[in-house]
This record gives sequence, C-alpha cells and structure tokens, in this order.
Amino acid sequence: MKFLRLYITAVVSIFLFSCASNQTTRDISAYEVPVNDFSRTVELLIANEDFLETEIMRINALNPSVQRIILGADEFLKDKNYVKVNSELERALRLTKTEGALYLRIAHLRYKQGLLRESESFASRGLLLSNISSWERLLLNVYLKN
Amino acid sequence: MKFKLSISLFIGSFAVIIFIFSAALIAIIDYRVTAKLDGVLWTVPAKLYSRPLELAENIEINIDNLVRELEMLSYIEVSNPERSGQFSLSKDNLQIFLRGYKDQRSGIFNISLGNQKIKRITNQLGLSEDLIKLEPIVIGGMYPAHMEDRVLLDWPEVPQILIETILAVEDQNFFNHYGISLKSISRAFLTNIKAGEVEQGGSTITQQLAKSLFFTSEQTIKRKVMEAIASLLIEFHYSKEEILLAYINDVFLAQSGRRAIHGFGLGAHHFFGTSIKNLDTDQIALLVGMLKGPSLYNPRRNPKNATKRRNLVLSVLKRNFNISDAEYENLTIKQLGISAPNYRTETKYPAFHDLVRLELQENFNERDLRTKGLAIETNVDPILQDALEVAIVKTKNQLINKYGTKLNDLEGAAIAVDISNGEVKAVVGSTRPSSYGFNRSINAIRPIGSLVKPFIYLTALDQYKDYNLTTILDDSRLSLSSGGIIWEPDNFDKKFHGNIPLHVALWQSYNIASARLGLDLGFRSVETMFSKLGIKKQFQDYPSLFIGSFELSPYQAIQAYQTIAADGFYTPLRSIREIKDIKGEIEFSYPYSIEQRIRPEPVALLKFAMQQTFERGTARGYPSKTIESWSAGGKTGTSDDQRDSWFVGFAGETLVLVWLGFDDNRQTPLTGRTGAFQVWKNFIDDINPVFKQKTSLPRINYVWTDMNDGLLSGKRCKNSLLVPFIKGTEPNITPTVRRKCSNRKETSDGGFLERLKEAFEGGQG
Repeated sequence: MKFLRLYITAVVSIFLFSCASNQTTRDISAYEVPVNDFSRTVELLIANEDFLETEIMRINALNPSVQRIILGADEFLKDKNYVKVNSELERALRLTKTEGALYLRIAHLRYKQGLLRESESFASRGLLLSNISSWERLLLNVYLKN
Repeated sequence: MKFKLSISLFIGSFAVIIFIFSAALIAIIDYRVTAKLDGVLWTVPAKLYSRPLELAENIEINIDNLVRELEMLSYIEVSNPERSGQFSLSKDNLQIFLRGYKDQRSGIFNISLGNQKIKRITNQLGLSEDLIKLEPIVIGGMYPAHMEDRVLLDWPEVPQILIETILAVEDQNFFNHYGISLKSISRAFLTNIKAGEVEQGGSTITQQLAKSLFFTSEQTIKRKVMEAIASLLIEFHYSKEEILLAYINDVFLAQSGRRAIHGFGLGAHHFFGTSIKNLDTDQIALLVGMLKGPSLYNPRRNPKNATKRRNLVLSVLKRNFNISDAEYENLTIKQLGISAPNYRTETKYPAFHDLVRLELQENFNERDLRTKGLAIETNVDPILQDALEVAIVKTKNQLINKYGTKLNDLEGAAIAVDISNGEVKAVVGSTRPSSYGFNRSINAIRPIGSLVKPFIYLTALDQYKDYNLTTILDDSRLSLSSGGIIWEPDNFDKKFHGNIPLHVALWQSYNIASARLGLDLGFRSVETMFSKLGIKKQFQDYPSLFIGSFELSPYQAIQAYQTIAADGFYTPLRSIREIKDIKGEIEFSYPYSIEQRIRPEPVALLKFAMQQTFERGTARGYPSKTIESWSAGGKTGTSDDQRDSWFVGFAGETLVLVWLGFDDNRQTPLTGRTGAFQVWKNFIDDINPVFKQKTSLPRINYVWTDMNDGLLSGKRCKNSLLVPFIKGTEPNITPTVRRKCSNRKETSDGGFLERLKEAFEGGQG
C-alpha cells in the first residue's frame, strides 16, 4: 500500500513537471505559430454545425440579467431571425463586456451570416477575456479555424 | 315667345353651369378627402432617440448619473412615489415609478444599491426583476416644412375613457348623425344671433376633422359650405370608427416652439412624458378639455384655466355616469401632474445631429425622413453628452480667466465613444455646443501634432522582433536635406536627450527620437499601420509627418484611437443603432462589426506607454490607483506654434478626444496639457468612469527595467519601472551597478507554478 502511494505520487509529479517543462517561455517563434493543432473534439465541432450550435447554446452567462437576454436571442436564432439575434446580443454586450457566452454567440451569429472574418474577430475578442472557462476557450477557437 | 325661350335657355344653362360647377367642386373635395384619408394619413417626422438606459442586477453603475438621467426624463423626486414619473432615493435604495416604454411595463420598482453596483431589482410584489428599462429621451426630429408632429395611435392603443370623454364633450350625437347635426347648428345659430357675433360652433367631430384637414379656421359661409360637403363625403366614405381615430390622431393640442403638437398620442408625451395608455382619467380630461382652446387651456402656461377646464370636463363625465361622484371628488382635487418639457424641437445636440444625418444620408432620402414616422435610435448617452458640453464650456471659461480675453473666440470639438463597440456617445462641435453652424468635430481638418506618435510607435512595436518598449532610440540632433531645404526638428523643451528607451520617448513626446524612429521604420510600413488603424487619408512622404504635420479631423483621429483602445480591433464608429418604421419593426440597423487588425500584445505595450502619460508624462496628476482601475492611457498633442491643442485618452470603457484652437489658425497660448487635457479632465472627473476589467494576455510578461538604459533592473533599484514585454523579447542584461538592488524573483517570469499555470492556459493563435 505504501509502495502504491509512493508510485502514484511519483507518476503525478512527473506528469506535472513534464507539462510545465514543455512550455518554452523564451521561445519567441511560438508567438507566430497559429493554433492549428486542434483536438479531435474541435474537429468534430467544426464538422457538425448543429452540434456546435447546441454546444454554444449550452453556455450560460454568469449574470442572470444577461442570461435572460441570451435566452431570447437563442429563440430568435432558432427562427433564423438574425437581425433580432444581433439586436439582443448587442443589448447584452452593453450591459457587460466580460461574458464569454456573448462573444461565442456573436461569433456564431456572424458565422451563420457568412461573415467569417468578423466571426473570427469576435472569437479573438472573446479569447482576451480573463474569466472564460476552458470549454468556452475551446469553442471560441473553433471560429478561428474558420 | 322668343323672349320666354331665351329666359328658359338662360336658366337652363345657368342650372347646368351650377350643376357642373357643384359637381366639379364635390369631385375635387371628394378627391381631397379620399386622397388624404386613404393612403398615408399624415406626414409623421422621423424622431431621434437617445439610447434607452437598461438597469440590470450586478451591473456597475454611477448612481449620480442615474439620478441625473431620471431628472432629464422629468422624473420628480418625492418621498413616496405614487404616480408614474416619480422616484425616491435613499442611501442604498432607489424607488422608481416607471412610466413604461415598449416592452417595459409601468409600475413601481425598487433598486437596491451598493458599492457602485445594482444589487437587486424588485417589483411592487417584492419579486425579483433582473432587468428594467428607462424610456429614452427624444433628442430631436426631422420635420416637414409645416412642422406638424404627432405620434400615431391605432385602435388597440386608444383607451376607452378617451373615447368616452371626447364623445361626451365634443359630440354626444356622433353615432347618430351623417356628418352634420342640424340640431347642433340651430343651437349654435340661435346663440350666435343672440350674441351678435360667432360665439359658439355647432360642429360635429366629422366637421372638426374636415376643418382641420382641409380648411383654414376663418368663419365664412363659403368655408362652412365646403366643410359641410367634406363632412358628408367623409361620412359617406368612412366608418364612424375610422373617423373617430382620424380625429384622435389629428387634433391640434399645442405649439412648442416651431413645432405643432397634433393628436392625443403626442399630447400625452408632450404634457405627461408618457404614452396615452398610462394616463389617468383626470389627465385625459385635461387633454380633451384643451381642444376648446389649446393656448387658453395650456396647462404649462395657464395652469389655473387648465384646472378649471379639466374639472368642467370631469363634471360632464360625472353627469354622463362615466365616473362616479366619489371618483369625481378625488380627481378634481388632484394636481395637474404635468411633466417638465424634455422634448427638443430642434435637437439640443446639433453636432450629434450632424453625425446622424451623415450616416442616414447613405440609406435614406430626406423626404422619407420627414414624413414616414421613422424612429431613429441613436447611441447618444445624454449624461455623457451633457457632461462633455459642460466640460468644454467650463474649460474655456477657466482658460479665459487664466490667459485673458484673447481666448474669447477659442473654438473646440470633443467626441466620446464606447471603446469596445464603437458607439458614439457624445459629440461637441463648438465651444458654444447648443449653437448650429460649423461642426468642428467632423469638418475641422487640423495637424494632429504628437497625436500621431502612438501610430509610429505601434508600427515599431508590431515588429516585435526588432522593437520593444526598452529599445533605445536616439534623441540627438537630426538634420535632413531635401530639395535644398534643410529640416531640423527640435523638442518642445528645445533640448536633446541622447539615448532613451522607446517608452520614455513616447510619454515624454520627444520629437527627434520619434522622427528617427519613423525614418527607420520607413514610410510604407507606417502608412500600412495608419490604414490598419482606420485612417482613410492620402499619405504623403514628408518626414515632418512623424512629428505631427499630418492633418485629421477629430472624428478621423478618434477612429484611429478606437482601434488602439480596443486592443487592435477596428470597429467603425456609429452614431445610430437601428431605425424602426412607424409600426416599430426594424427597418435598418447598424450592427456592431469588428475586425482584428493588429495583434493585441503590441497594442498592450503601446497602451502601457500611453498609461505612463498619466503616471509621469504630460497628463500626470491622477493617483496611480485611479489610473490602474480605469486602465487609463492617453496622449497630448500640440501642433507647430501651438495652433492646435489635442488630447486623447481612455478611461474605463470611454475614449474621449478633444481639440482646441482658433478657426483662423492663429497661435494659442495652449499646449495639449494646458488646453485640451483640461477639457478631458473636467469631463472624466464629472462622469467618473466605472472600473474596467483587464484583458487576459498570457504572452505578456512584466520585467523591472531601468528608465534610462532600458536594461534589467529591480524593484528596489532607483529609476526602475515594471515594463511589459512579449515573452521572449525581454532584455537579459543586468548591469553590474544594479546587480545588488535588482531582485529577479520580483518578475513574474520563470516560476514553476507560473509555468504550470501557463501549461493549462491556452491563447489565441
């Protein structure tokens, strides 16, 4: 038992150390490398638009007032009423500019409208937020791929 | 026989002529009646609205500004709100009786406040309401030549009590006559004969409608006949309901400046600041009572007459059993409840109006704007707009006190925008902001002075392999010869500063170092950066461009700075949100659009240098804590011979640019700091921006460096500053003299935990 505990501790330590040491903070060239190496999940999200939309609609805002607006916008999105979706999302963005859920939806909306460059820019804007989850980050990265 | 025949022929011809003439007259009147009432009934001018203020839980808010907005909307502070349009304020609670606006219902709402935040919003029942909306302020309109204004009502919007009151007072027999009531005419005729003058009218509602739609108010037999024919034709063509609705939308209620207030829809807004559906019986009685004499019974000018008339109308309602005796007693003792006038005939914000017009020109023609009843929802924030106007006037007065009357005709312009979404929040085009005329914010093209420098420095920082904030620049004598002309720039302090780090050259605004940097970078790369920032202007290859001979309007300049303040995301500035048709459907919108043009990291470095303008440069004076919480940054600009004074600065979510100077381009005693910055300061101190959350840039690393040589330093070393770098571009040499005081542990780089954190943090590509 003692040996097993020691073994697990050693394995975890080696894993953590290897994660940390893989980061080359002084490597200036890393700055220029676009994130192309998407995981299997991202590939799946890109391949299936409906699946992607469902995943985005599952992302809730932290602020309940903003969430209320988002729910309305999602309904308009289902009806493909993009003008209203945009109007509602902009309304929410005026209340707070720090909700990843909003940037995700607006990036998705622009994607649906065929405005791919804007979609990418909104996703990039969302990635600058400091309070987004890893899943939101991953979803936002999907629009960079587009 | 012959004679008899001639007489008969004459009479016959005369009768035919009379018949033809009458038929033609009736046909003409009939055409006018149907043409007017069939299609678009009335010309309805486009109206400009400010942004509606939405209040939500957990949202940061400046309480003082909220109260100011309520006052601008003519809400009245009371101890206990009982009527719409009232509010009460205690230390941590605001209670508002909302008037209601579109999907926002009227009612009392409690807003718990604390720590510059809305903690909770509850309704009358104590239930949580996470979102409420204040009505927008109407900031102007686009009127047809006759200046008639109205808010059209449809049947579902017309309260029953309004119909009952109109019928009781104006035409009790309305549903039983054919446009003309002989009973009413004979009664009026007898009264007038007795009086020896026209004292009473016997007009039905249909006649009144005919009169106001087609004829003048002169009391002649001819007009009366025409009016009677028109009334019969109206009754022939239209149902009673259609006639009554037309009347409700058409009656003249008041004159407001050059604008004529028509219809009960607009009457409700004009006198009570709310829509007709929110009015109480006494308020409806007042409006209906005013029909007899809009000027005589105007409640603002003649409140006594108006009260008397209202009570008379209420007594008619009591007599007709529309209201009970008890209701009558209660209603007659009520105050008139008139709101302060908050509607501007022609916009109070002419410079903003200009900008809106410019944007509208691309998609709408002038006629549609004046007749189709469009609702133009603008981005103007009335609080910021008023504060910016006050700041420019106040600063001019302060400058006149300091420098004397030679600044009497000093002019200026200022623009405030929301950094993230590019919404224009306020525009001032003159030091007399309410006056019409030359709008300097759009039309004054002036040399931007040192405001150009951040564009040059950003060009360098974007080439991050060659430049960072501590790259050493040369600020020694520079002499260039071109076409026999020698160009030798000098610094504002007339000194040379030798080798200095790049960030110091920027916040100290050294001309020679900037010129050398521009020349090193080359015209083409600087031109590319100008274009990325959104400057659409011919670029000319003069080295003087690098220190500010480049000319822009304040509006063009703030567009470029918006891209910087928004971390490299270009967003076209927009003064309009959307345009709705008369039915409230979106007819045209101006959506939020962004384009990432510059990577956020080089922009973050530039913003750091611009923050130093506040910390130690030409905009110093604010405490570090304040600068940090606002994420503030800025740049002063002074053109040659101090002809132009500029300042641009961001604080919180607001970016503001100010220009001061003379229209005839003569010299001022002002620099960017002593002139334009003072306007910015007065404005920002007034609005007190809320805290801004910082962006996440994992590829930025902060390192202590020396402010003279740009090499590594430490927190405890003299003259050191914590400077951001794109990872991998940090300086790596610590001079021997600073080895003792420098402490590498104080940098945020290198720790195991830091690296572990980074391993799990992604970033954008």
